[in-house]
Amino acid sequence: MTTDRRPAGSVLAELAAILGRVTGREQVAVITPETALFGGGVGLDSLTGTLLLVEVQHRFGVDVAAADLNLDCLATLATLAAFVSERLPVRDSR
Amino acid sequence: MIKCVVWDIDNTLLAGTYLESGARPPGPDPELLGVLRELDHRGIVHALASKNPPEAADYVATVTGVPFAAAECGWGRKSDALRRIIDDLGLGADAVAFVDDDLLERAEVAAALPEVLVLLPEDAADAPSWPEFSPAVITAEGRRRGEMYAQRRRRQEEARAFGGSRDDFLRRACTEVLIAPAGLGDVPRLHELSVRTHQFNTASAPVSEGELASLHGSAGHRLVAVRLRDRFGDDGIVGGALIDRGEANDSGVPPDPGAARSWTVSLLMMSCRALGRGVLDALLAALCQRAVADGAGELRIPCLVTDRNVPLRLALAAAGFRAGAAAQPGQPATFGRSLTEPPPGLPDWATVADGP
Repeated sequence: MTTDRRPAGSVLAELAAILGRVTGREQVAVITPETALFGGGVGLDSLTGTLLLVEVQHRFGVDVAAADLNLDCLATLATLAAFVSERLPVRDSR
Repeated sequence: MIKCVVWDIDNTLLAGTYLESGARPPGPDPELLGVLRELDHRGIVHALASKNPPEAADYVATVTGVPFAAAECGWGRKSDALRRIIDDLGLGADAVAFVDDDLLERAEVAAALPEVLVLLPEDAADAPSWPEFSPAVITAEGRRRGEMYAQRRRRQEEARAFGGSRDDFLRRACTEVLIAPAGLGDVPRLHELSVRTHQFNTASAPVSEGELASLHGSAGHRLVAVRLRDRFGDDGIVGGALIDRGEANDSGVPPDPGAARSWTVSLLMMSCRALGRGVLDALLAALCQRAVADGAGELRIPCLVTDRNVPLRLALAAAGFRAGAAAQPGQPATFGRSLTEPPPGLPDWATVADGP
């Protein structure tokens, strides 16, 4: 059995690009993986947070809002990348 | 004024899914069928945007008996389907409403076409009573709404051109959020919001004017009105909250003296028109601070967990609220925040007026 699971690093890079797009700020795409998404530098809110979740579902097929009711995985880009990587649909090629 | 409503088909106009129902597709949703006919009588045009084969549009036209001025069936982005409908019909995007049961479709359209009024099916069920769907009745509120759409368009154009952070734009727009004890005169508008808001509403049912008025005068409760304005315009009351202070109740029974008191927010609501303007952050921060000032140790917000209130859950998460580990989708949960940790800071565009 093989999987098309991508390394967490590439998920992280894609998430950073998505975050830059939904916030409309390119500099957000170069924040560190440990920067808090809520408040402070990124300031994720209801609107930008929803857009981020929509893009994550489109791109990775992971419904974050249904799987993490408290949205704890939105703490940082690193926690979101780990959450998404663990749940990437696995292609079974038997 | 809305001139055209673009409808989703599956689980919106139809009481089920067209393709997954075998030989016999589901019938129309009875409540929305009434809305379709009523708006049609008023001269408002209907259109369809659906991820279905074109036969689905013919089927919907047949079972509803209502004409559709345009139908976009396919698997592309719904915002592109709406753009084609808007071009075909020669309308302004601000004259179009879009109704879809799917959060992702609504978010995609709202982001791509901010002038379009994006509604849940439940919102659309109320639409005939709204001034923007009532061309014959030109009320003062209806005229004001027209002006508010124009203000919103100017604000969005400037926000798109700005490029800085959201907070910087809110400051640049001279945003003012005023959080104050509600007056009795605010009760009708708060009741209206409790009926009309779905995406940003923690209660499972509307609260009547009579109930709001009686709780307004109760020592054990706080009723809060939230006003929003900026240099583009004044939106008036856009949100509210109803708080049970967890003190001696009105019948005079004292609380257990050893127990830590908590504030419980039994209703938290905001108009979706205020989305992205810093209102919920301000309201949640203000509620935490008032609860601390009142001696409460915890702020609790009961809320049904659904895919419809994801934006509300994002605001709760951002303000440090968490539900218990047992919380399940579709079930009531209580989002709580200990007040022994420092409450979130009040944004500088917010003002909190003291209670009586």
